[in-house]
Amino acid sequence: MKNSTLIKGTAAIAVGAALLLGGGGTLAAWNAEAAATPGTIVSGDLNVTAAAGVWTDRAGTVIDINTYKVVPGDKLTYTQALTVKLTGDKMAADITLTGADSANNFTADNVAISPLQLKKGDNTVATRLAPVTGSPTQTVTASTTFEFKSTTATRSDVNTSYNLGNVKYTLQQVVAGQTGLS
Amino acid sequence: MRIRRSLKAAALIAAAVVLGLLTVQGTYALWSASASAAPGTVQSASFTMGMSAVPSGQTSTMTLADGTPAKLAITPATTLLPGSSVYGGVAVTNNTNAGGTFNTTVTAARGTVTSTGDGSLAGNVTINAKIGAVAADCNTATGYTTLTSAGLTSPAVPKTASTVFCFQVTLNPNAPASVKGQAVNIPLTLTARQLCGVPGGC
Repeated sequence: MKNSTLIKGTAAIAVGAALLLGGGGTLAAWNAEAAATPGTIVSGDLNVTAAAGVWTDRAGTVIDINTYKVVPGDKLTYTQALTVKLTGDKMAADITLTGADSANNFTADNVAISPLQLKKGDNTVATRLAPVTGSPTQTVTASTTFEFKSTTATRSDVNTSYNLGNVKYTLQQVVAGQTGLS
Repeated sequence: MRIRRSLKAAALIAAAVVLGLLTVQGTYALWSASASAAPGTVQSASFTMGMSAVPSGQTSTMTLADGTPAKLAITPATTLLPGSSVYGGVAVTNNTNAGGTFNTTVTAARGTVTSTGDGSLAGNVTINAKIGAVAADCNTATGYTTLTSAGLTSPAVPKTASTVFCFQVTLNPNAPASVKGQAVNIPLTLTARQLCGVPGGC
């Protein structure tokens, strides 16, 4: 009876040792590994900032629109430089201009007003923008002209005003035309 | 029936939303940034010409607040005697608040001269005019020329500057006795006009 117990114990130890051997690889055998750095994903950028707008007269002299009073024959130009930052391999954005609260009290025949327009550095109308090589930023110019015609007669439109209101420049990323981005 | 209709409506709305998202893609999300500006207000200048009569001392703007022309009396200080003259003048000042160049020119033109009584005095006076620098120049007899119907035009009057129109009225030395005690009314019209001061502006 006692013998039987001993035999059973020995058999159990043998089985345990066999199981340990069976888990091959951890005790010996070949082993290899490789390391890799997948890299860092960096996002691009999109931003628009507006520099202070500048008013100039016909001769190109800067004037203060808050105090300057126009007379027939005057032509004023407003220019505002916008710094557009676009980075990203598939970045594209539309720049749009919206105006609000403008109020023109001048007689239509006495003035010639060109609408506020956005132009790129090469003087083409700016709408769809893409990153430019060599610089993360590019300049877009908003401009408008106001001419008080010299044909204005009598005392027409003295002490009158034209408020250009509030202007908002919006830069909106688009996916159109950029394959692989949707 | 009612459920079917609801289902149809729901399907239509879903289709519209999907279509909308697909066609205007990019406006619902993606990056956007904006900047604002207030370009300001363009204001036109006033066209204000100040007038000051000598010797009456009357002052006025050329155009009154209601838009009508002002009337100013010169009223010479002395009476007319045969062969003698009386003097008066109007100083016109360019009081505009224009931001840039605003030169004006002023023209004085005479109207029809009338006189009281039998009206004979009107035909016996000559009206001369000249441009002076200051009101005191009007009392100096030199420099006067006949005021024609074309009128007398001043040189350019820049902002804040002024010009003086001097008038001399002389009674004919051989005037008949009938003019005695009569008064003569000489209407003079002053017109200010803007000169183009901006190169290429006019």
